[in-house]
Amino acid sequence: MKIVLVIALSLSIVAPPVAAQKSAKPHALSQEQRIVHVLNRLGFGARPGDVERVKAMGLENYIKQQLNPEKIPDTVAENKIKDLTVLNMPAAELYAKYPQPGQLLRQLRARGMLPEGAPAPENNQTPPAGNPLDNEKYREVIQKYYRENGLQRPQQIIAELQASRILRAVYSERQLQEVMVDFWTNHFNVFAGKGADRWLLPAYDRDTIRPHAMGKFSALLQATAQSPAMLFYLDNFQSVSPNAMQRARGPQQQRRGINENYARELMELHTLGVDGGYTQKDVQEVARCFTGWTIFQPRGGGAAVNAMMGEAGRRNAGTFFFNARTHDDGEKTVLGQKIPAGGGFKDGLTVLDILARHPSTAKFIATKLVRHFVSDNPPPALVDRVAKTFTKTDGDIRETLKAIFFSDEFNSSTAYRAKIKRPFELVVSAIRTLGADTNGGPGTHQWLARMGEPLYGFQTPNGYSDTAESWVNTGGLLERMNFGLALAGNRVQGTQVDLSKLTANETSQAKVLDQSLKTILAAEVSAATRETLLKQLDQSDPVTKVVGLILGTPEFQRQ
Amino acid sequence: MNRRYFLKSSGIALASVGMSLSAPSFLERVVFGSTPSRGKRKTLIAIFQRGAVDGLNMVVPFGESSYYDLRPSISISKPAPGNAEAAIDLDGFFGLHPSMSAFKSLWDSKRLAIIHASGSPDNSRSHFDAQDYMESATPGVKSTKDGWLNRYLQSKNDPDASSFRAVSMTTNTPRVLQGPAPVVAMARLSDFAIRAGKSSANVQGGFEALYAQKSDDVLAGMGRETFEAVNYLKKANPEQYQPENGAQYPRSPFGNSLLQIAQLIKASVGLEVAFTDLQGWDTHANQGNSRGQLANNLQQFSSGIGALYQDLGQRMDDVVILTMSEFGRTVRENGNRGTDHGHANAMFVMGNSVRGGKVYGRWPGLKNDQLYEERDLALTTDFRDVFGELATRHLGTKNSNSLFPGYSLSSSRFKNFL
Repeated sequence: MKIVLVIALSLSIVAPPVAAQKSAKPHALSQEQRIVHVLNRLGFGARPGDVERVKAMGLENYIKQQLNPEKIPDTVAENKIKDLTVLNMPAAELYAKYPQPGQLLRQLRARGMLPEGAPAPENNQTPPAGNPLDNEKYREVIQKYYRENGLQRPQQIIAELQASRILRAVYSERQLQEVMVDFWTNHFNVFAGKGADRWLLPAYDRDTIRPHAMGKFSALLQATAQSPAMLFYLDNFQSVSPNAMQRARGPQQQRRGINENYARELMELHTLGVDGGYTQKDVQEVARCFTGWTIFQPRGGGAAVNAMMGEAGRRNAGTFFFNARTHDDGEKTVLGQKIPAGGGFKDGLTVLDILARHPSTAKFIATKLVRHFVSDNPPPALVDRVAKTFTKTDGDIRETLKAIFFSDEFNSSTAYRAKIKRPFELVVSAIRTLGADTNGGPGTHQWLARMGEPLYGFQTPNGYSDTAESWVNTGGLLERMNFGLALAGNRVQGTQVDLSKLTANETSQAKVLDQSLKTILAAEVSAATRETLLKQLDQSDPVTKVVGLILGTPEFQRQ
Repeated sequence: MNRRYFLKSSGIALASVGMSLSAPSFLERVVFGSTPSRGKRKTLIAIFQRGAVDGLNMVVPFGESSYYDLRPSISISKPAPGNAEAAIDLDGFFGLHPSMSAFKSLWDSKRLAIIHASGSPDNSRSHFDAQDYMESATPGVKSTKDGWLNRYLQSKNDPDASSFRAVSMTTNTPRVLQGPAPVVAMARLSDFAIRAGKSSANVQGGFEALYAQKSDDVLAGMGRETFEAVNYLKKANPEQYQPENGAQYPRSPFGNSLLQIAQLIKASVGLEVAFTDLQGWDTHANQGNSRGQLANNLQQFSSGIGALYQDLGQRMDDVVILTMSEFGRTVRENGNRGTDHGHANAMFVMGNSVRGGKVYGRWPGLKNDQLYEERDLALTTDFRDVFGELATRHLGTKNSNSLFPGYSLSSSRFKNFL
């Protein structure tokens, strides 16, 4: 294996890449540029000293190490996130400790704990009703209950989850792992604002995405299909066969039937791609296969459930379960393949198996990966090779990535600094390049939202765009500049920057500038840019200003 | 910036970032440059009542006896002289909620049209899904990537469009405006600037110099466009704004949003689509009748829009205001003196060009066999027919079919409120 890698690497240096670009003649990157490139693309940019560290250990060794994150010690990042308690809680505990005010209100009422004269709260609606904290009659009693019982508001869950993503991206030595977590979280997008998903997302990150981010695609796909977060987000939890045993329901129960939402997005966005060769009939058949794939107590067990089912009911709230009573057990045909009647739970697994190994899926995933790691316009020849690797290795994500990282296209000057950073990449790389210290808290979340990428805040299942045109607009660009200024000026709450470390106490203006440019942009700026920046060094606090400006340059928006 | 030079240098940018084959829309805009248009243009102000307003207490069908039968404690009483708690009579059958007196004069002067029993044909009663469908304007289809107002912007490619062609007075771009066409979202106009305290001007100068000298980069082109817009807005001097004609906006985020939309229109920054929203309509319990939660919110809503109308004065010749909400609420009040998620709802359309003073749309009735799923106001007007009429007749799009994928728009279904 080692030999193959070295050959691939040396080839890429000797043979110039063949990417067809008219104006800029593509050429191989210098050794220093390759290190910067790898730190930018396989991670969230260099921290002070990273380039030297990678140089010392050898670039190929670094890439190999990154492809095997489980072998990299990561105590700094682990310490940073150890106080984020939601990360380790099962959904049931989150429901209990971070209750929704409306649900709490109903419980208080059931126990007769509302004060005299307070009006009756809303009945048990699906989805839950508006926020009773907006109603001053309830506010006090609810706030008191939260306080006295050590409970917290549900917003705290996503705040901690966001913080964990930022902290890991900034501090983790497993940089590629974090890039892939970001990639798959976006590929299998779930919106925190939809119903119960707020309580279900910590488990999604912990149990669904992370364990499989560098493993087999089929395992990742199955994990997402069985994740309560996805089942809720794309409505499959309430998809019920009209043929199944539903007769016991009273007239008050909401009428339900098949919901095709998950089936459609599973093929369009998770596997085959929109032109991947499936029909509306396939969508319907896949939806039938997934009937009964649902969530136990998707909104947490209410008092009645707890009374009926006891401790087990409480513990399992918000977990996957297969409900045979709502499953359509007839025969189905998916993409031309017969799925015999009586398959039960296995119907869904069969579908996932067909999809994970379909040639359209290999092509679709290869295209998205190449777009992310190489270029907004994925070179078709590279996509083909990467798709072949994907198929040959039965969807081994690690091997697929290797095919990209050691390709000529990846290591070409046309790929170098050709991707516009998304806001998450910008924020994390800016914090890293300055060697700043952050708590990953609301200060950073607000900036991400302003620049247009609140984590877990993308409503629709397609996830954030991975191409420049979505991110280059007047409002977004202005906020990027403002973020750079705020960070350099120590105005991002919860994040501290010590610029004197950066400039090594240099006092000459030119040296301050050159040192900053070296750290932040590997000194790769035109003479004109340097000249322009030098002219700006006229104030009492030149370092803050110049660092803010450099973070806002077009060059730093790229990776 | 010399436009010809700009074109040329941006051509290099296209090639150097490897996008020469299919230039994305923003690149085209950079290539063509952008000067805020000072000419007259039509403007649509879209206002979303998020959370599903109770349309039956907003525009009250007091002529329906079932309305009073089904809402024993929360109904609005029939109009009666001298009774300020009763519905404001519109046409002998419908009346406005008494807290919406700001709309009365607009109705009387025939500048306010109502489309009742309108909304989404999809039966989802999820706020999330229904808002999604209303904003994408593809009911039942979740994977639609862009919002219908963004598709409108795409459908009418305007080389002279300014950066303020579409503005959302919200922190994030709402679904209805998401998509490839550029949109500015900001909670406050003052946010649209370089924010570095006392040295803001100085720092902005630095960025301008940086982005000016590097012309072979798409980011540089967008940077120049950005500062052009920032400086243009600064000249409009938003800090010094005084509403006209005695308009008094409510002192609330909603009131401020409307006030700032008026500012942008008066500053002639080329605004074509403005958006803002107002929450708090999800009245499952104790929604009140002539007073209470819903009354307070309707008061803010109508007095804000009334102030906007007053402030814009003659400019309302070229402006139309549209209001919408994701679905209506149950006709029956529930056990908690509130209403639950329902189906059809009412929309307002206002402007000097509107054929107002009329409730449009077939009224389906409120008797049990007339209700949708035996509980909700039935739908007789698809919201796409309302949006489509506005896009074609007010905004003047030539390509209205691209706005509503999967729906064949036909002027025969328009309500002719324009």
